[in-house]
Amino acid sequence: MLTVCPYFHVHQPYRVKKYRVFDIGNDTEYFNDGSGTDLDNRFIVEKVANKSYRPTNKVLKELLDRHPEFRFNLSFSGTVLDQFEEYAPDVLESFQELVATGRVEILADTYHHSLAFFYSVPEFERQVKQHERKIKKLFGVKPRVFRNTELSYRNDLAKWCEDNGYLGIMAEGWDKYLGWRSPNYLYRPAGCNKIKVLLKNYKLSDDVAFRFGNKEWASWPLSADTFASWIHAHHGDGQTVNLFMDYESFGEHQWEDTGIFDFLRALPEMVLRHPDTSFRTATETVEAYDVAGEYDVPDVLTWADTDRDLTAWIGNDIQRDAIAATYNMEQEVMRTRKKKLIETWRKLQTSDHFYYMCTKWSNDGDVHAYFSPYQSPYDAYIAFMNALSDLQLRVSQVAAERKAKDSAKAAVTNALEVIEDTEEMGDEVVSASDRPKQIESVLAATVKRWRQRISGVLSFFRRG
Amino acid sequence: MRVLTFGWEFPPAQSGGLGFACQGLTQELLQSGVEVIFVLPKTQDSPYGNARFVFADQERLLRVRHADLGPIPYQQANSTIDVIVGYDESGKPIIKSRTIIEEAHRFAHQASIIAREEEFDVIHAHDWTSYLAGVAAKLATGKPLVLHVHATSFDQAASNNVDPAIFKIEREAFAMADKVVTVSGYTKNIIVKKHEVPAAKVEVVHNGCHPEDLPRQAPALAELKKQGKKVVLYVGRITIQKGVDHFVRAARRVVDNDPNVMFVICGSGDMTHQIIELVGSLGLSKNFIFTGALWFDDRDRLMQSVDLVVMPSVSEPFGLVPFEALQNGTPSIISKQSGAAEVLSHALKVDFWDTEEMANQILSSLRYPVMRQQLVKEGKWQMFNMTWRHAAEKVKRVYQSLLQYVTT
Repeated sequence: MLTVCPYFHVHQPYRVKKYRVFDIGNDTEYFNDGSGTDLDNRFIVEKVANKSYRPTNKVLKELLDRHPEFRFNLSFSGTVLDQFEEYAPDVLESFQELVATGRVEILADTYHHSLAFFYSVPEFERQVKQHERKIKKLFGVKPRVFRNTELSYRNDLAKWCEDNGYLGIMAEGWDKYLGWRSPNYLYRPAGCNKIKVLLKNYKLSDDVAFRFGNKEWASWPLSADTFASWIHAHHGDGQTVNLFMDYESFGEHQWEDTGIFDFLRALPEMVLRHPDTSFRTATETVEAYDVAGEYDVPDVLTWADTDRDLTAWIGNDIQRDAIAATYNMEQEVMRTRKKKLIETWRKLQTSDHFYYMCTKWSNDGDVHAYFSPYQSPYDAYIAFMNALSDLQLRVSQVAAERKAKDSAKAAVTNALEVIEDTEEMGDEVVSASDRPKQIESVLAATVKRWRQRISGVLSFFRRG
Repeated sequence: MRVLTFGWEFPPAQSGGLGFACQGLTQELLQSGVEVIFVLPKTQDSPYGNARFVFADQERLLRVRHADLGPIPYQQANSTIDVIVGYDESGKPIIKSRTIIEEAHRFAHQASIIAREEEFDVIHAHDWTSYLAGVAAKLATGKPLVLHVHATSFDQAASNNVDPAIFKIEREAFAMADKVVTVSGYTKNIIVKKHEVPAAKVEVVHNGCHPEDLPRQAPALAELKKQGKKVVLYVGRITIQKGVDHFVRAARRVVDNDPNVMFVICGSGDMTHQIIELVGSLGLSKNFIFTGALWFDDRDRLMQSVDLVVMPSVSEPFGLVPFEALQNGTPSIISKQSGAAEVLSHALKVDFWDTEEMANQILSSLRYPVMRQQLVKEGKWQMFNMTWRHAAEKVKRVYQSLLQYVTT
């Protein structure tokens, strides 16, 4: 038996508009570019919906209707779901229809497509919980297999997933850690006892996601028939072929004119033609097979570039500066208990912001190797840091207001105590004629202080 | 392979960017086995490098002995220079004024004589003052001609009032050339559009640069730094081409936001008074310092002491300033209307007219020191891939393409 476990990742960030130094303190909207360019989030979602989400979901629905054996997995960032709700509710409905068939599994994820695990585990946990609630609300299901932003993975992340009840976790099937072994088996993450790791078959996955439309590629044009035969070739040396890719590979990264939709439409039939070959969701895969060995990943592994690490996000000084500045705010932001501020801060954690600041290959002049809506990594950094500076300002304003309120409250309490003390004293030692005068002077001084503070507190005093 | 090259200036004689570019290219061509005969219009003491130098004012020349060429070769065609036309009985030089265009014609006349005397395979002429010489040499010998464009009449005039006499020389010479080399895609675009040179005839060869750090000078502006001021520098000629007025307008916006920023203007030119007046009328006198033109160690010292350099050029065929700044450990903001913007990834880039964005970039650079450090660090790495050797290899391929049917 050989099964195929496809997983498509759906994500859009909230891109930061061209936010200038002059906007700090004057503009609290960072994500509302309306220019109809690649910084305009609504524009992008509508564009990608037309090119990718709508036509692809139509094909996927047809395939589910036609082939009862067909199954796959989806993962969504919370930021893309929010944008669907706001800009393209019909796209969200079409995803809900897919999931309602019961043959489409949704994976666990961070809500904000962040690298929080590597910077703050408590924040990471909050985002995973938030994501779980969102998925429950929109799709009525609870994810049981975890995938992290950019497929980033490390032994301790697997351990966290095991401790938190997940059955499986996804990772890149990278030669450095696999050695001679095949990615087409399940493995046990080092340091774990129960959880199983599903490894991406990067060769076959990238044939579709990256190479499909490349006319220079020796296998171009790739037919579903040929691709299915490559899958079938793993009969006997594997149990599960894990095809992990961006959902937007269909129609957005590979345009319709490459024939990608015809390929997708034909693939399940070609795969199923071979006896003993079928599809499984991630949970079904994890439940069906035992582990073949241990997968030991002490350093961060991702699905990016030839380096398969985080250097595309935190490889240079400005990237590390920006991400450190973001996570350094955690305590202050959380202390505000302001939903809007916390949510904005989290939107700034989305990994894409740091990716846009990548200079990794710019020294070779290969600036197009990285997609970015900004004209340069430095423009991305400036817009981001200015927005973050504004957020810091708002956070410290809230903190200052709170502090002022607290100290005003304390002043009231003190004053009341003084009055009580004075009254008590009056009862005992102070003569009746002195009493009103003393109380009056204490009151006058206190009221004067309050007037300089917040007017709301005055009413509190009157009540008191 | 032997090349007869015509240029206007060569270090160490007082020299602008053109002379240094000719030197960098010539040295690497020699390294790669190309023989270079470098013809200059006037005699000068031991030019740097191992090329064979020929001076067009010697021997063959009847009257003209010496042209007093300043460091600015791109003046208007009718601006005058002093020329020694001969000597009186007591040996005192007889000085007359000539226009640059007359001087360029004289150079061409000499070039045709020199070309007949020398043996070579290709002719290479740098910038408009040498184009006529290159064309004359071609007419005299029939050898293929390469014209090298370091600047055009359009850059100089920032697109207004282009000197018609220079434009005519450029246009006619480009038509006569077998190949035209430009120092940037930006300049290629100009000559394809304005001079109507077929794009296929134009090859872009970006200038090289010198990546090594310059020696550290004693810190300058210590008093300002002590007061916690941030300092932003403009360095270059003060002319319409250089966009200094846009820089001053951006400064107004910067100071509105942060009065602690100081601006230094280092250079001189025909717009100096206008710029001083503009600074005054915008109420920025307290925030501006004019140093006049500085060279060598003084200039390096200034560049090393400031936080940021701005090159706001309206039209800049290449632009050495950001590279010089990197050698001095300082990052730059450069205009998108420059050749440097094509090759240097590690600078902030802005349209010269977008003073709002220029101000944003200045303030952001000053706010975020990590970005300034990275611009310098990665900019220096990038400069190591931008050597004159690469440029010379490309130029050599241009020569070879012209000689492929020539059998010797």
